[in-house]
Amino acid sequence: MSKRITIDPITRIEGHLRIDVEVDNNSVSNAWASCTMWRGIEKILRGRDPRDAWLYTQRFCGVCTTVHAMASVRAVEDALKLEVPPNAQYIRNLILIAHALHDHIVHFYQLSALDWVDILQIPKADPDRTAKLAESLSPWTRNSRQEFKVAQDKVKAVAASGQLGIFMNGYWGHPAMRLSPEVNLLAFTHYLQALEYQRKALQVVGMLGAKTPHIQNLTVGGVANAIDLDSQGALGMDRLEAIRLLLSEVSQFIQQVYFVDVCAVAAMYPDWFKIGKGVTNYLAVPDLPLDSKGESYDLPGGYIMDGNVGGAHFFRTAADKEFRESVSEDVTHAYYEGTKPLHPWVGETEPQFTGWTADGKYSWVKGPRFNNQPMQVGPLAQILIGYAQGHPLTRKYADLALGKVSAVAGVHATPDMLHSTLGRHAARAIRAAMLAELADKHWQLLVNNIAKGDTAVFNPPMFNGEVEGVGTHEAPRGTLSHWVVVKDAKIKNYQAVVPSTWNASPRDHAGNHGPYEASLLHTPLARPEEPLEVIRTVHSFDPCMACACHAFDPSGKQIAKAKVL
Amino acid sequence: MKKVLIGGIGNVLLGDDGVGPYVVRLLTANYEFDEGVELCDLGTPALDLIDQISGKDAVILIDALKVDTEPGSVLRYRKPDIVEHSPAVRMDPHSPALVETLLSVDMFGIAPADVLLVGISSGSYDCGCCLSNPVQDSIDRVIAEVLAELDRIGVRYYLREHPIDSGIWWTSTEQVPARL
Repeated sequence: MSKRITIDPITRIEGHLRIDVEVDNNSVSNAWASCTMWRGIEKILRGRDPRDAWLYTQRFCGVCTTVHAMASVRAVEDALKLEVPPNAQYIRNLILIAHALHDHIVHFYQLSALDWVDILQIPKADPDRTAKLAESLSPWTRNSRQEFKVAQDKVKAVAASGQLGIFMNGYWGHPAMRLSPEVNLLAFTHYLQALEYQRKALQVVGMLGAKTPHIQNLTVGGVANAIDLDSQGALGMDRLEAIRLLLSEVSQFIQQVYFVDVCAVAAMYPDWFKIGKGVTNYLAVPDLPLDSKGESYDLPGGYIMDGNVGGAHFFRTAADKEFRESVSEDVTHAYYEGTKPLHPWVGETEPQFTGWTADGKYSWVKGPRFNNQPMQVGPLAQILIGYAQGHPLTRKYADLALGKVSAVAGVHATPDMLHSTLGRHAARAIRAAMLAELADKHWQLLVNNIAKGDTAVFNPPMFNGEVEGVGTHEAPRGTLSHWVVVKDAKIKNYQAVVPSTWNASPRDHAGNHGPYEASLLHTPLARPEEPLEVIRTVHSFDPCMACACHAFDPSGKQIAKAKVL
Repeated sequence: MKKVLIGGIGNVLLGDDGVGPYVVRLLTANYEFDEGVELCDLGTPALDLIDQISGKDAVILIDALKVDTEPGSVLRYRKPDIVEHSPAVRMDPHSPALVETLLSVDMFGIAPADVLLVGISSGSYDCGCCLSNPVQDSIDRVIAEVLAELDRIGVRYYLREHPIDSGIWWTSTEQVPARL
């Protein structure tokens, strides 16, 4: 006899995502991902100056402000065939890298680690043994007995007070929790330290972008940073050195802590490399352009169909012809008017609310499709595509991660295992390690270019007639694309197809599940009334529904709550 | 010197939800403050709010509320109110992050001594860049609450003789008040 469980909302911070699963004999037999609020912000942009669009789009979401600003200026530049000076590319790349490092650290430690780490086991840990274990895994200098003891005392104090505070809603003591007290303490200590390092990454965004949470230095055609190596007010050597120092501290945390923790925790849950596969069509776009025309990139993009990694296709540019022509949005099961999938340039956003119906419309998220197929986006897509291409940096860190998992788990970890819930976490850590290395490279590219005497940061936009453009960015959560139609220097249409829309997509007209939905099928649940396993898989995608829908949380709940219907 | 954050929370593209950033920008345009006071349009910061409030002695946040009082009502909440009664009070849209932030800074041991949330009961969260009339009419009362809190904690402020640009860019097609 099946029963339906509703989890609403499922993100630890931004609400709005609802998951419904049908459970038969403690296994998920059907799933629906839905967004509970309306998204229609794009309409505000119609009739406005395309040069201002990025100011508005960076307000789509409070967590991902920077990425929407970047995709927007790129969309207008693509429409105008406007080149971007190398300095501007490097400055933008450094901002994007710093933002992504911040985002990946926060995702693992603040938003998903506690799906795997049992806080209430920590008081039982031995700080000495934790320090020995940590030493065997990483050269991180803050893995001292003292740091572990301080962290453990924090948990003991919280537990003794009877007020669990920030931890009040966790599934502590759940049978699916399987780390030793020492590994729990190790991960929790790094959860505390992570706060400092994500902040350093954000400081870099602020130093280059003039401000956080909303950067101010973008402009269609480049950036507004004044470059003068000898000046203290402009972007000069003093500020560049400070940026390099911050980036190197963050990089060290990524390489020695985050990357290692993900491998160690993954190795303790090897069965989770077999759970949560779902849609094995993958999509990623090239990013971190290395020249003003956007002809070469440091991160590869392309697509994979049906898990056929060996048969991957690759995109040459960030606005590849095949990508431009192959994206559509299906609204069969979304609360919008319309009968056939539409390309974003002619996309419509007219609401048609029906209430949640299992066989009909059930979500405010549209169903993006690539060549009519649902696609999984995110770090896993990027890593698999890079691996298929033989991209050296991807291979370096993917092989390193698989080697670490193999060593700790005593199994032979292969790239095939990445099609899974833990594969998504591992891929994010691999990507973060790659970006940490690229941060140094792009800093050097910028400094070398300025040293050659090039201080150009901007090419002025010229408007003429009606033109279409797409701006893409391989954001922390995956492929982001902004689609703009400009007519007589005004915005005629604007659509944002965001990563969480790809992954949280509802079924389409052919009945294909979206990636969240498909990934949940056949998940075993130890206690269906406490569906920790469902939450683990959904969190592995790093959901952020604030940009897929607007930020209005009708429930006021703080954390995933399950209701058995 | 007291370190104080006056932060406006909300999405400026969603009607009354933008009241927090709006008020902060009006305060910036019309007042000068003691050194150590930082005014910030925080947008919808989620957990990044932890970074914004860490290291501060006092935090004054301004945000739209979804409560069963008349739109334009101005309500004050202290930390215990926010942390304990949030599900009932239902502060939208960012109470999840606000509650979680306050609990997190407690656990991290970096909590500010004084926390005040000035909430404005809001009418419309529909897509659009302007405030509804009842919320627009509440602005003076919101500012009075913020200034009263500064008086209470002993931070000085001065009305500018010549207001600076408010930088409220999102209402570019609507009317922008030049000064209070």
